[in-house]
Amino acid sequence: MRRINSLYGRNGILKRVFEKPAKQSHAFLASRSFSTEGGYGGESQQNSSSSRVKIFDRELKRRDRAAWLSRNKNDTFVDAVAENLLDRLEDCKKSFPSALCLGGSLGPVKRLLRDRGGIEKLIMMDTSHDMIKSCRDAQDDNSIDTSYLVGDEEFLPIKESSVDLIISSLGLHWTNDLPGSMIQCKLALKPDGLFLAAILGGETLKELRIACTLAHMEREGGISPRLSPLAQVRDAGNLLTRAGFSLPGVDVDEYVVKYKSALDLIEHLRAMGETNALLQRNKATTAAIYDSMFATEDGTIPATFQVIYMTGWKEHSSHPQAKRRGSATVSFTDIHKQFGGQS
Amino acid sequence: MVRLSRVMLKEAGNAIDKTLSEILVCPLSKQPLRVCEKTKSLVSDTIGVSFPIKDGIPCLVPKDGKILEEDGDASKAS
Repeated sequence: MRRINSLYGRNGILKRVFEKPAKQSHAFLASRSFSTEGGYGGESQQNSSSSRVKIFDRELKRRDRAAWLSRNKNDTFVDAVAENLLDRLEDCKKSFPSALCLGGSLGPVKRLLRDRGGIEKLIMMDTSHDMIKSCRDAQDDNSIDTSYLVGDEEFLPIKESSVDLIISSLGLHWTNDLPGSMIQCKLALKPDGLFLAAILGGETLKELRIACTLAHMEREGGISPRLSPLAQVRDAGNLLTRAGFSLPGVDVDEYVVKYKSALDLIEHLRAMGETNALLQRNKATTAAIYDSMFATEDGTIPATFQVIYMTGWKEHSSHPQAKRRGSATVSFTDIHKQFGGQS
Repeated sequence: MVRLSRVMLKEAGNAIDKTLSEILVCPLSKQPLRVCEKTKSLVSDTIGVSFPIKDGIPCLVPKDGKILEEDGDASKAS
């Protein structure tokens, strides 16, 4: 397994661990090792001998995310991301008879799929049983043969070369071992199969990050990071190549969502299953700072969500390959002469 | 249809539907799985772990796996 310390280290990050919610059925994260008593980086130091830093407690995440996500049916941001991802299927001439959809926002993908991509068999997978059940019970007018499965992206239970398409909308940024998950996805794809993923990028919620840090400094006199490690755009390309995908493509989209107040933003994050318990603790201070620093003229506050879309293909003989170094038959001078002297 | 897999379950009497049985492998060893009708689970013989099928949905998360043999090695990979 590869070390991912360097990837996550870039954002100077922290840990998000899910805690079982007390009264409400939505997701809370308690960053246990990052309270001021525990000391920063306590747990990751223990784990540094193994090659994987366990940043996310996937077990807790399974239970809690499902209920909230299933209730929020009309989340425009999540829908927009799913729509953008599925749109790319129309750009391909190829059709994908079998498709695997990895968790994250499963509902919108299933709902917005329609007839794109020529998909005949759809397999939905998520780590949470409740999520899969609610996905199965949702009333969607899809005539595609859909199967459901509970599984972990880090331990993909799919045979090699068995699916034509893998889609993951806003799910992979929760994995502890992103390169490993991507490699397993690549193995599961048939030759000339497509991998489409949307993950949150490093610029996401930068305003919130700043507000949280300031609030924490004020209240507790230290800095404890609060938002989970997110990939940078420059890392996305590396990830795809390391996983062995051919013809990798990365593009970024920034969505600025306007909220009436910072508290609304925090509620929305809870709804998407992406919050942190420490955030809850200093909520009032954070909200106050956020509102004062970032409010626009009409009183609303913006929140940036940077989504990185990654596409990669499983190698196939029909893909263009880079030629071997030194095998060139035409030099740049010749091309220059051919096309006139404009530099 | 969404209900299609359930219909197939009832008719075929199999624990999981055909699409899945063709592509599923053990998440840990990547070896084929054996359907065990009695316990409604998928068994990975190479490592001796069984994964449950809850409500017709196979749960192939490593933490859900149950070790079958009784030998000392009870470490579940996670």
